[in-house]
Amino acid sequence: MQNIKGPDDLQRNVLDEELCTGCGACTNLCPYIDMVKANAIIIEPCGLSKGRCYNFCPRSYIDVPSLDKSIFGSYREDIAIGSNIYVMKARAKDEEIRSAAQYGGVVSALIIHALQTGKIDAAVLATSSDGVNPKPTIARSKKEVLECVGSKYIVSPTVSKVLDAIKGEMGKIGVVCTPCQMTAIRKMQDSPFETGEEKISLGIGLFCTWCFSPDTYEYIRSLVGSANILKTDIPPPPANIFVIQTDERRVEVPLDEIRKFIMPSCAVCFDMTNEFSDISVGTVEGEEDWNTVIVRTRNGERFLKSAKEAAIIETKPLEKEKFNHLCEASLNRKKRALKEIDGRKITYLTIRDEERSKIISWNGGI
Amino acid sequence: MIGDDPLNIIITGVGGQGNVVASRIIASAAVNEGLYVSVGEIYGASQRGGAVTSYVRLSGEMQYGPIIPRGMAHIIIGFEPIESLRAIGNFGSKKTRAIINPRPIYPVDVLSGTLEYPPVEEVLKAIKELVYGVQVIEATELAKKAGDAVMQNIVMVGCVVGSGLIPIEIETTKEIIKESFAKERVEANLKAFKSGVGEIKGRKAV
Amino acid sequence: MHVEIDEPGRKVLLMGNEAIARGAIEAGVDFCSGYPGNPASEILETLAGVAKKLDFLTEWSVNEIVALEAAGAAACAGLRAMTVMKNMGVDVCSDFLMTVNMSGTKGGFVLISGDDPAVHSSNSELDTRNYARFADIPLLEPATTQEAKDMTKWAFDLSEELGVLCMVRTVTRLSHSSGLVSLGPITREERSAEFAPLLGTWTSGSGDYTCMFHDALHGKLKTAQEKFEESQFNWYTGKEDAEFIIITSGTGWLYSAEAVKLLGLKDEVGILKLGTTWPLPEKLIAKHLKHAKEVLFVEEIDPFLEQNVKVLAAELAADIGPIKFYGKKSNHIRSEFGAGVGELDVDTVMRGLTETMNVTYIPRDQDYAEKAEKLVGSYAPNRSMAFCAGCPHRASFWAIKRALKWDGRDGIVTGDIGCYSMAQLPTGFMVLKSMHCMGAGIGTATRFGNLKRYGLDKPVIAVSGDSTFYHACIPALINARWNKSNLLYVILDNKTTAMTGNQPHPGIGIDALGEPSPVTPIEDVCKGIGVEVRKCDPFDIDEATQNLYEMLQTEGVKVIIFSRECALTEAQKRKKKPRVYVDQDKCIGDECGCMRFCTRVLNCPGNIWDYTKGKAKIDEVVCNGCGLCAKLCPAGAIIVEEVV
Ligand SMILES: Cc1cc2nc3c(=O)[nH]c(=O)nc-3n(C[C@H](O)[C@H](O)[C@H](O)COP(=O)(O)OP(=O)(O)OC[C@H]3O[C@@H](n4cnc5c(N)ncnc54)[C@H](O)[C@@H]3O)c2cc1C
Repeated sequence: MQNIKGPDDLQRNVLDEELCTGCGACTNLCPYIDMVKANAIIIEPCGLSKGRCYNFCPRSYIDVPSLDKSIFGSYREDIAIGSNIYVMKARAKDEEIRSAAQYGGVVSALIIHALQTGKIDAAVLATSSDGVNPKPTIARSKKEVLECVGSKYIVSPTVSKVLDAIKGEMGKIGVVCTPCQMTAIRKMQDSPFETGEEKISLGIGLFCTWCFSPDTYEYIRSLVGSANILKTDIPPPPANIFVIQTDERRVEVPLDEIRKFIMPSCAVCFDMTNEFSDISVGTVEGEEDWNTVIVRTRNGERFLKSAKEAAIIETKPLEKEKFNHLCEASLNRKKRALKEIDGRKITYLTIRDEERSKIISWNGGI
Repeated sequence: MIGDDPLNIIITGVGGQGNVVASRIIASAAVNEGLYVSVGEIYGASQRGGAVTSYVRLSGEMQYGPIIPRGMAHIIIGFEPIESLRAIGNFGSKKTRAIINPRPIYPVDVLSGTLEYPPVEEVLKAIKELVYGVQVIEATELAKKAGDAVMQNIVMVGCVVGSGLIPIEIETTKEIIKESFAKERVEANLKAFKSGVGEIKGRKAV
Repeated sequence: MHVEIDEPGRKVLLMGNEAIARGAIEAGVDFCSGYPGNPASEILETLAGVAKKLDFLTEWSVNEIVALEAAGAAACAGLRAMTVMKNMGVDVCSDFLMTVNMSGTKGGFVLISGDDPAVHSSNSELDTRNYARFADIPLLEPATTQEAKDMTKWAFDLSEELGVLCMVRTVTRLSHSSGLVSLGPITREERSAEFAPLLGTWTSGSGDYTCMFHDALHGKLKTAQEKFEESQFNWYTGKEDAEFIIITSGTGWLYSAEAVKLLGLKDEVGILKLGTTWPLPEKLIAKHLKHAKEVLFVEEIDPFLEQNVKVLAAELAADIGPIKFYGKKSNHIRSEFGAGVGELDVDTVMRGLTETMNVTYIPRDQDYAEKAEKLVGSYAPNRSMAFCAGCPHRASFWAIKRALKWDGRDGIVTGDIGCYSMAQLPTGFMVLKSMHCMGAGIGTATRFGNLKRYGLDKPVIAVSGDSTFYHACIPALINARWNKSNLLYVILDNKTTAMTGNQPHPGIGIDALGEPSPVTPIEDVCKGIGVEVRKCDPFDIDEATQNLYEMLQTEGVKVIIFSRECALTEAQKRKKKPRVYVDQDKCIGDECGCMRFCTRVLNCPGNIWDYTKGKAKIDEVVCNGCGLCAKLCPAGAIIVEEVV
């Protein structure tokens, strides 16, 4: 357990290095740390040399082999997208869900199914009052889940809400979150601290290449004024745009113009496909109303099977070419991250040596 | 009539413990006994967790100044153990007699963990080494029985008056107590006073 | 109340401040004003308590200069008027003082100034006797509670006779000490007020006129001096023609007398006790300098007598011959901090005497002293001042601390004097980084928040209390807006003047008598000035922090009012305090997630730590039942139960 350190190390190794992801895993645990504009702030050191804040943080350290082992029972075979049982395309059967959702509505459909079948009692999702700024929330009904549909590309302190949910009366909790947030949750489940993490029964992971900082909101507003924002989107490559759909018009911003708002911590992110989830969900290039789905754990597999049997979702195989593109995108992400990590001499990530050399020497193509 | 002249009494405790009320009662009773009285008090910090010390000086001859010289306190009435020790350290001698409420009021420095509060027995032991004799009075407990823990100051006044160490009659003090409190509080305070008197009367003098 | 006993000759126990009030009553005071401040607050409180019955006027003024002006007006109108204030209050009123000395007075006009040697409850050892000399006004220094009464009474007569205001200087040790006072008769003379200055105008003039008035003032001072030569407040005791004399004033008198007695020097040393210390009774002093070869000065704070008597001795040198002077300059009268600093006591005088005369004095034998020091050192941990249990400031400063951390620019917090000054200490998380006179928090913030041109670009928060707001902050706030400063001004509105003992102020709706009076809401004043104003309860810590944080993000001058009543006044009003206790099963103590937040950080004296169990506990005697700790306890282990 030499990895367990305290708030001083969190300050030095994560916060001072601008590596905070804003996930919220260190807040809501104690009165000493607050989350402001997606950055954890230590108000006053608690004086302890070991603590959950450091232990749960997805940027303090990630020991990939050991997490793989504790979640999947063995180390990953797939270096591109991590441990998985199968990959496919899917979409919600329910037209209402699909039309409201970001893409195929798989996430929302699965969560509703989990709530309705008692797989979970509550789900931690992200809602938004302005279509852009996420606010983590606890949903317990279809109605509440539907209030959370759609991607908010600004970081959400979802894990702090998970901690809230754990403290509450709910028995089993489901979570929808980005890869860094999922990592925090898995670290929590893997840690010697008892926080009530066993309540987390289902982790649906969103794919994520990067996330915007809260300042982005003002920039977006400067583009669309006070119009009602219905949806934002980053269509898969090669579109290279950020799309803002208001009730009046559709505004496209070249990605290069909005890149400056990307959270600095995303630069060292190694995980695009949410490698520690039960089920990961992302987009499918060229097919706006379908999702790419990676089933990773036995828990995820069983649950997805039940959803399929209940005709909640429909599935199709993912085309080889699209699968390859996914892997390429993921490997690209990993390679960039390793370069950044090595360049800045950041030590948070532990992966196997052979995996590291494969990624570094990877030159495109699968 | 009065043994040592001036007779120097120190009442010490922490802000909020009712030092000023106690010193006023003793002083007023002494006035009614026909003595010269002066009371020195500093209470800027009284409500703010700081130490508060009152000096009461009684004389049959003349009016003395409000501060007791070092080592010249005859009686120390301590509402709090470490404040008692501190006062004895400054003003006590081998002739000093102390009456002490052993209930600690922790300094914020102790609460924060910056400093440690020694075990009360050890504080009392240190006090015993420095004075002629000590009476330890669970005044807060007695005050609770009389109706309210805050009346520990009146219990302590009862003890010192009941001890016969100061030239003030029990009856004189009772009269002052009656004048000093709002009507509805008089009875409880008299009860606290009497319990202090009773407590000390039941003990062997030291 | 003893002060209203109308039995001339009866001896009663009075506190110094009560004695001063009684003196004013015996003088037939018609009006008394003041601003609360230790050690002088109780004087006006006492007077206000009997003002209705005795049918005279009192007011708590918004600050000391207004107080002095108000009293000056009443005196100008022929009434007997008095103003009471702390030492630093004399600074505040000095502007008026330096002109009303020349314009003069018709009715008796008395200024009571309370100095604070050793700084028991203020933040300056200012010796206001210098103001009397500075302003050319007569100065009296009472030595006992009896004199406090008698001199105050006489000050009115003197002032009326001379036509100039007189100052009476007390110190904390006198003001807050009690002694026997032999009462005089209470006189109530019915005076009528009229605006009829001698020259038609009430003015210090200008040009030549001012010079004439100034010269006239010197004339009045001369008359005062003649009277002082005969004053009953000055006397000499001890050996006639002693070669060693002590010259003393104020509290120094009793300490000197006791020191001489304890050292057995009664037959060798003479004591010249002065009660009228400006102008000096030169003839009286000269008489005793004549027989003295050595003089020891014993007085509080500055070497005021010491310097002035030395000047006199220089003038008289040819007649009186050489004299050795001891005191502060020679370092014979000194406190643990040094000479001219701290407070006198008997031991200090005894040390002065043993060092200058051939005597020894050992208060306690060496062994005992060493043992006492050792035992105190090991068994009596220090006791720092702290916000009271239940104090709203604890919450306010935690919110400020958080907001500054959230902001992340290492903001500066300036402040002034009041209970909240303790935010410099751990009890206020050491948030406050500056403290001077009243109003200096916002005054200095005005420019700290406007030095970008020179590279200082940090958010600036100024704090002040509510009473201080009215006292000295309004001009600074206007100045800040006028000069385009960037600052956030936090007004800690606890609905009282807390530090000085909970006196009212213009925002509460009652006056000095406790009678209804119009309210001037802080919020309205600030809005009228034109700045953004928000208001919230500091016990809603998250909301308070959020508000502070948001306001720190914008430019300009902004005000936030943290509104919550002082725990002390609140406790006085309520019938029963809620019961607060710690659910021992829920308390996680020093584990991750808490690490003794309530005791270690929040540091409320009502939250104590049970070392044996490793859990928090409530000290039910100290706890005020405010529930702040319950709100902040991360484990939800602190329970607040209303008691019915
Ligand atoms: C910041 C971000 C970046 C993404 N980047 C990519 C990418 O690069 N490639 C890719 O294929 N897919 C990415 N996605 C995922 C994609 O946008 C869809 O969310 C996903 O395909 C699921 O689609 P759906 O129709 O099932 O979603 P829905 O059924 O609409 O459900 C979306 C769910 O996401 C949750 N959510 C929304 N915003 C956030 C947030 N900020 N943090 C946490 N949870 C949130 C909501 O609670 C909701 O439950 C990203 C998502 C986010 C939030």
